[in-house]
Amino acid sequence: MSDSPAPSAPKPSSSVKLVLLGEAAVGKSSLVLRFVNDAFEPNKEPTIGAAFLTQKCNLPNRTIKFEIWDTAGQERFASLAPMYYRNAQSALVVYDITKASSLVKAKHWIAELQRQASPGIVIALVGNKLDLVEDEEEGEAQEGEGEGEGEEDGKVRRVSTKEGKDYADEENLLFFETSAKSGHNVNEVFTAIANAIPETSLKGPRGGAGGATQAALGSGAQDNSRVNLNANADAGPKEGCAC
Amino acid sequence: METLDGTEWDVVIAGTGLPQSLLALSLSRSGKSVLHLDRNDYYGGNEAALSLSEARDWATKHAATGEEAHNTTFSHATIQENAVEEGGIKLSQPRAYSLALAPHVIHAQSKLLAALVSSRMHNQLEFQAVGSWFLAEPLSENDGSRSHITRVPSGREDIFRDNTFDLRAKRSLMKFLRFVQNYEEQPQAWQSDAERPFPDFLQQKFGLPPSSHGALLSLTLLPSAANSTSTGSALPLIARHLRSIGVFGPGFGAVLPKWGGLAEIAQVACRAGAVGGGVYVLKKGIDSISSASEDHIKLVLSDGEKITTRWLAGCSDDLPPIGTREITGRMTRSISIVTPPLVQLFPPTSEGGVTPAGAVVIVPSSTADEPPVQIVAHSHESGECPSTQSVLYGSVALPYEQGKTHLAAAVEAVLQGYEESSHHSLWSLCYHQNNVREERGPSTNTIVLAHAPLELGLSDSTFDEVKLAWQQITGETEGFMVFEAREGMEDDD
Repeated sequence: MSDSPAPSAPKPSSSVKLVLLGEAAVGKSSLVLRFVNDAFEPNKEPTIGAAFLTQKCNLPNRTIKFEIWDTAGQERFASLAPMYYRNAQSALVVYDITKASSLVKAKHWIAELQRQASPGIVIALVGNKLDLVEDEEEGEAQEGEGEGEGEEDGKVRRVSTKEGKDYADEENLLFFETSAKSGHNVNEVFTAIANAIPETSLKGPRGGAGGATQAALGSGAQDNSRVNLNANADAGPKEGCAC
Repeated sequence: METLDGTEWDVVIAGTGLPQSLLALSLSRSGKSVLHLDRNDYYGGNEAALSLSEARDWATKHAATGEEAHNTTFSHATIQENAVEEGGIKLSQPRAYSLALAPHVIHAQSKLLAALVSSRMHNQLEFQAVGSWFLAEPLSENDGSRSHITRVPSGREDIFRDNTFDLRAKRSLMKFLRFVQNYEEQPQAWQSDAERPFPDFLQQKFGLPPSSHGALLSLTLLPSAANSTSTGSALPLIARHLRSIGVFGPGFGAVLPKWGGLAEIAQVACRAGAVGGGVYVLKKGIDSISSASEDHIKLVLSDGEKITTRWLAGCSDDLPPIGTREITGRMTRSISIVTPPLVQLFPPTSEGGVTPAGAVVIVPSSTADEPPVQIVAHSHESGECPSTQSVLYGSVALPYEQGKTHLAAAVEAVLQGYEESSHHSLWSLCYHQNNVREERGPSTNTIVLAHAPLELGLSDSTFDEVKLAWQQITGETEGFMVFEAREGMEDDD
């Protein structure tokens, strides 16, 4: 729907690289699936290998195309994240509100991002699986500390909203509690990230070939240093004679 | 962390430099189970891009100068950080830099670029123009006054407008350029001179005065001295330069990958390889290789894990030595962060065209028997430094001590080449690089890939070699690096 730029004033479109991090089984891939396809698979298999997905997010004055890198499945070797957060403008760090250890892992990722990723990276901290605790939501969810082995399916909230929020405030992160299952707050997370990306770090679409073609390249628009490798496909023979 | 012990793979690839990363990606998309290892804790291997703090660690690791430096790829690394005057521009935070160990210039018709498009990897990359070529005065002729840096005319109109050549020289130059455009079809005009020094050929066959030789030599990007540059090696490279101009836009013919040179391509290949199912593990090298059976190799990894694989591939730096190693190229290189930015080096390539982020400056030696210093300049647009600075990547085909002196003088010449303000260097890294090549019998299941070549103009050799390795492993002949769009990542329109 947004793909045919209006002849008058097409909204500027930019790509934003987003890296998805968090402990296994906190619902990273499900969050993305909800955002990208507005779907949910209840008993999703763990993601094997890494995944890459894109989705547009329409803001009033511009369109952000998220390029989402999901390290899923490969965190076991702790080697994929460094190449995923290289040059990433945003990161989504997910924990499971019914599993205290997942917040510890999330904090570990955030520290690593602050140490290693691009200085201006926008980080959102997300507590997922809100649907699991919705019944008891009203009261101050809280039981004892430990994750008792007897705990059935972790249906009890183990991380309070306040704990997540306070930590996020301290570290200057965006913060949401979401449910990939119900869709609660999922779009809000991505919209908030899109809004938080500074205008200056947006330099036209990264995905040169597709997208708003003419805005992309070589047309001499504002700050244009990007070269379109597909230019030759449009103009003249592929090989040889540029002479 | 899980263990790899006891796992079996179709292919194990050692090192995440450009050749290995392209191979890993292509194999992961051909249905092979791929384990991609790197003994370093960063991606990119010999083509890595480093932040300032990573560069410091890297330099410490590659500081050797003695015996052991003879056969290793990198050695003699030293960093010099210069004092900043009160109120002057200082170095920014370490992560504001992404310094390229491989700042290669990629010509428009390079096979690699075509493969990046056919594999859709280009959607994840950003390329920028290497706009102008410049020629500085030879080093010794600089008597301390400002050196002159002149732009090398890049096309016919440029030559007409140029006022450094007289009319006769211009005519000869035109004649030569016409010849080069299809030199292959006129072997009689040059083949008997193929082994002769290129300057002699220019002078005798085309009547080109010595004053024009430097400009033409600069287009080859060959690291050799003028008198050791053969006609047969120079002609194809000048043709490559001229034929590339205009392919991706008016006024330029070569590009650089944003964010740190070849490192970025290698990383994007690794990311895509991971999406293709490859498993990536850093900080793990290969300690020993033995044959497990007829068609399986047993590997012992640096932490003692034992794995088996049908194929093993990597560059010599990442494999235990088995065959004979020889040095096929030597270069002293430097990386200098300078301020204020050298905006004069990045003039627009054409009206309304792209803003170049790269430029080439050749500083010839005082004699035609000594190699020139070649400098690739990157503006902050390359994402490699803050906007108040530029990065100069120097290289010269000389041993370290001599090379270092030449590099320093050449960088100084570039900094002093403009009158407006006092350019100076904030930080520099100087090191020596050998190109180590290892031959290994073709009968084994171990493939030793050559490192990316040292020459600044990226040749197709890396691409060809990776393709050959892919063919050998998959048994396919067609379809290398040609991927269909994947679900969720197709082009938008």
